[in-house]
Amino acid sequence: MSIKDMLSIAAMNLRRRKLRTFLTVLGMAIGTASIVVMVSLGIGMQEVTKEIFEGYGSLTLINVYNYSYQDPSQTSNSMVWSSGSEVTLDAKKVDEFKRIPGVQAVMPLVQVYGYLKSGQYVSGIQIMGVDAASAEQFGFVLDQGRLPNTSTGSNYELTLGNYVLYNFYNPKTYRQAVDNEGNPRVSLDKSRFQLTFDHRNIYEYEDYGGESTPKGKMYKVNVVGALSQEGGMNAYYTLMDINALNRLYRENKDNMYGLETGKYQEVWVKCESTDDVVAVQEKINSMGYAAYSVQEGLQTQQEMQRQTQMLLGAIGGVALLVAAIGIMNTMMMSIYERTKEIGIIKVLGCRMGNIAGLFLTESAFIGLIGGAVGLGVSYALSYVLNTQIMETAGIRSIIPLYLSLGAVVFSMGVALISGMYPAFRAMRLSALTAIRAE
Amino acid sequence: MEQAYEIAGAAASTTKKEIIIDIRDLKKTYRVGSVNVHALSGINFSLNRGEICCVVGRSGSGKSTLLNLMAGLEGPTSGEIVIARQHVEKMNQSELILFRQQHVGFIFQSFNLMPYYTALENVAFPLVFRGMSKRKRMKLAREMLCSVGLETHLKHKPTQMSGGQQQRVGIARALVTNPEIVFADEPTGNLDSKTSDEVMNLICDIARTQNKTLVMVTHDPNMAAFTDKAVHLLDGQVVKIDENTREI
Ligand SMILES: Nc1ncnc2c1ncn2[C@@H]1O[C@H](COP(=O)(O)OP(=O)(O)OP(=O)(O)O)[C@@H](O)[C@H]1O
Ligand SMILES: [Mg+2]
Repeated sequence: MSIKDMLSIAAMNLRRRKLRTFLTVLGMAIGTASIVVMVSLGIGMQEVTKEIFEGYGSLTLINVYNYSYQDPSQTSNSMVWSSGSEVTLDAKKVDEFKRIPGVQAVMPLVQVYGYLKSGQYVSGIQIMGVDAASAEQFGFVLDQGRLPNTSTGSNYELTLGNYVLYNFYNPKTYRQAVDNEGNPRVSLDKSRFQLTFDHRNIYEYEDYGGESTPKGKMYKVNVVGALSQEGGMNAYYTLMDINALNRLYRENKDNMYGLETGKYQEVWVKCESTDDVVAVQEKINSMGYAAYSVQEGLQTQQEMQRQTQMLLGAIGGVALLVAAIGIMNTMMMSIYERTKEIGIIKVLGCRMGNIAGLFLTESAFIGLIGGAVGLGVSYALSYVLNTQIMETAGIRSIIPLYLSLGAVVFSMGVALISGMYPAFRAMRLSALTAIRAE
Repeated sequence: MEQAYEIAGAAASTTKKEIIIDIRDLKKTYRVGSVNVHALSGINFSLNRGEICCVVGRSGSGKSTLLNLMAGLEGPTSGEIVIARQHVEKMNQSELILFRQQHVGFIFQSFNLMPYYTALENVAFPLVFRGMSKRKRMKLAREMLCSVGLETHLKHKPTQMSGGQQQRVGIARALVTNPEIVFADEPTGNLDSKTSDEVMNLICDIARTQNKTLVMVTHDPNMAAFTDKAVHLLDGQVVKIDENTREI
């Protein structure tokens, strides 16, 4: 018996009992739709969470701090910070981190507070000394200009944080350096900039009379770019090459706090993919550092949400189960109805396998159509939910391609399983008793 | 080629005959409650290729049982059924279906046509199970319906036809697969006597011209006149076998 004949006979048998077929398909469609919508809400939930965490910073990034990490065996999951014991982050460690499998780039950095002066205006800046060579790979988004180059001589290049231009003010009048329309008066191309670490260069205090140290120098700097706020947390910092910053440190030891030559306050480790993050992070922790990643937080959060997801899926699954029982019932009914017919086709030479095949094909049809209709309903529901109801609620329904394909295959599979017992019964009917049946 | 010659030769000569159905000491006992009903108690007879045979006897004498056993629709209690050199009683379900596909056509008393199919589709139906292409089976079915005189009713559904016409469709369906043997259980049982004769003539004609072996159950003794051989049953036993010479 050819597959084409089998399909057309099965289709005809379904058409013969239109209402019953319709009702069974309807059940299957509702079952499929309920499971798809439930799962899509779960996926939407995860997606929203992911976006929230992405706002905190890159998901492939691990921040390593120069604090030690208290005995990892005792505090397996929760991080305990021990402020007392510091560990060294230096060039040697950076190389060690680089060798961990799954690591794409490593960037050491230090932070220091300074003052940027432009004409009569001044702005406090949080300077991040970065390894200019690898900074590009760490997701700094530029609004204009470029990142600082690796320092070669005595010139200092700065890329300003996103807010800096708006923060300039006159230290005498405390008036903000913006014009009537709110645009900053200081601009990258027109203004000249000077950097200092000694506040006495900015504010004129009364002399306290104590022993006075010489004032810190003013440095001429080239501002080569500004960061965009799209960079998230990164946009907050003003960037400078770490070597240039170290050179400044040698001349401003009294005014630059928290720095130490050859040591880093923090190291950023970028992983090749989000899948590597947790493993790399564990490795760094085991080396005695406190490492933190957004990805770990995200995974913990998503792990918790997975239970909610399962619950949603199970609720949808109940509807599908009911639909599956409906299919089984329909198929059993049609076997009782068609007992005689089954006997006749057996006498006419229909093989056992073909008889089972006919019934399975009918079930599969119901599953396929029900699944497809259910999927259509799911898309419609999902659209309505997203646009009308939950737009503001922070919940979203997302139906990825694998879910829609999976749903149709799954509903067909469920239908096939429900059809198995009826098909087996049909196959085993004795031709003779079947013919005798009225 | 050689085989075809042999078969043709067997039909032509009366001296060299090939036995196609051989029934040896066939018994069938039904158990109803605690009572054993001996539907068949030791049947022996054989049929040659191309013979037309009818099984006659009173109601309850075991005619249908005998036919069902021969067609492999149920298994015997003991004895042998050798059809086309194959032991039917030893086959399992799948082998029986294959055997029926290859050797057997079946005509039912109550026609048993598919109500939602037209006459043409009904006749073509058994060919579906043999995997024949649609074009080929429709062509064969049309030819078959023409030879039973229903060329005007190809597109009719069973409910739109008379009993006699339905049984002609049944006959066409049994013969379309070109079986060697045709079984018919009271093929005229649901028809009035005039239509009965017509249908009976038709079945026998086709069986003769196509050299089919035909086994037919009837409780009308007049029908025996149409056939080569009449097996008379009584209470599950053969009481008499009539051999008619053909009246051509
Ligand atoms: N499935 C069965 N279970 C028990 N007894 C049965 C069964 N089938 C037939 N019999 C018995 O076997 C005997 C022969 O029945 P069968 O149907 O062969 O008779 P028949 O000659 O065809 O009669 P009729 O002319 O009325 O069709 C009867 O006594 C019947 O009661
Ligand atoms: Mg009978």
